[in-house]
Amino acid sequence: MKINWKELTKGIFKENPVFVIVLGLCPTLGVSTQVSNALGMSAGVLFVLLFSNLLISALRNFIPDSIHIPAYVVIIASLVTIIEMVMHAFVPAVYSALGVYLPLIVVNCIILGRAEAFAARNTVLDSVLDAIGMAIGFALGLTLIAVIRELLGSGTITLFAVGNFDGVIRIPWFYNNPIRVMSLAPGALLLMGYLKAFFDWTGARKKDR
Amino acid sequence: MKKNMRYALILLSICAVSAFLLAFTNSITAPVIEEMDHQSRLKALEAVSGGLEIGEQESVEEQRFVTYRIPLSEEGEHTGWILGLKGAGYGGELTLVASYTLDGVMQYAQLLSHSETPGLGKKAEESWYMDKFKNTGGEQPVPTSKAMLTAPDAQAVSGSSVTFTAVAKAIKAGSDYVKDLGGTL
Repeated sequence: MKINWKELTKGIFKENPVFVIVLGLCPTLGVSTQVSNALGMSAGVLFVLLFSNLLISALRNFIPDSIHIPAYVVIIASLVTIIEMVMHAFVPAVYSALGVYLPLIVVNCIILGRAEAFAARNTVLDSVLDAIGMAIGFALGLTLIAVIRELLGSGTITLFAVGNFDGVIRIPWFYNNPIRVMSLAPGALLLMGYLKAFFDWTGARKKDR
Repeated sequence: MKKNMRYALILLSICAVSAFLLAFTNSITAPVIEEMDHQSRLKALEAVSGGLEIGEQESVEEQRFVTYRIPLSEEGEHTGWILGLKGAGYGGELTLVASYTLDGVMQYAQLLSHSETPGLGKKAEESWYMDKFKNTGGEQPVPTSKAMLTAPDAQAVSGSSVTFTAVAKAIKAGSDYVKDLGGTL
């Protein structure tokens, strides 16, 4: 069986869902106030995207075109409910931090977009690779935004508490001089704009070469 | 007709498998969540009791905001109440517990469950949020609108008016309920 590595790598840079395709911006901007939230949301999206692509690709000859949308929605909503119940039971802090954004994965454009545009037309293996690549790309984009916003907005990097470590790394200088707007919605939009412009500019430079 | 039946069967089979998977996951996670909720409720009751003895819970009927009450006592003497309260937040129902002296002055409050927006209404989870209502309900009225708060406090709850109103209304209703009881058990 030949593995098409391009399907895996395209989602990370070339077709990054956050900065290039610009999908799933609502959770990207909403939960990126803390790095731990970004990692929790990324794990949720990875689980849902991986299994939705896998199931939809495996069932693509079984589900007729006329009912593909309701069928996909049932599959995706079930996967999101499963991850929601598991997170609620076993990682309650992340569940609580993600709040309404966790069930909103159901309507995350990346999930339905990849199901429609890719999984419904390709093999199971390619769909799994696509899901992993897109989820990594989403995680990188979300984590990059969260790191910058939390560092500038609060002067901290919040990870997960382990033993005596409370999970919060305080960065000297930034901690005492936070730029509060970065923690708020306007800061998220500003940063997203700058990062999008940067990625467009680097993409254009590559094309020129 | 035949085609529609086939479509219906396909959708039914997808739904049946989904329902089975959800039921299986729920059977594993529900007991863990229930135990966690029980523990966090006990912790919240302990936190709002202010070190007083916590009595037996009694359910409260026909009240819009108050769902149950628990008497508080010190050395056998009844000194106040813990009330289970509910309100209509931005993301749906929110529940909280609050303790009151016998004359309806709110002492401590803590949010138990909610679906408020992270960064906005979710701030109500934090202790400083509930401190705005501490010692209100007696001579000092419960602030039920942002205009009744100091400028920094009003700024702190900006962007979450629905949550603030829901919490404030519930706390005020609790205070009124305790006043109506008139110190009786």
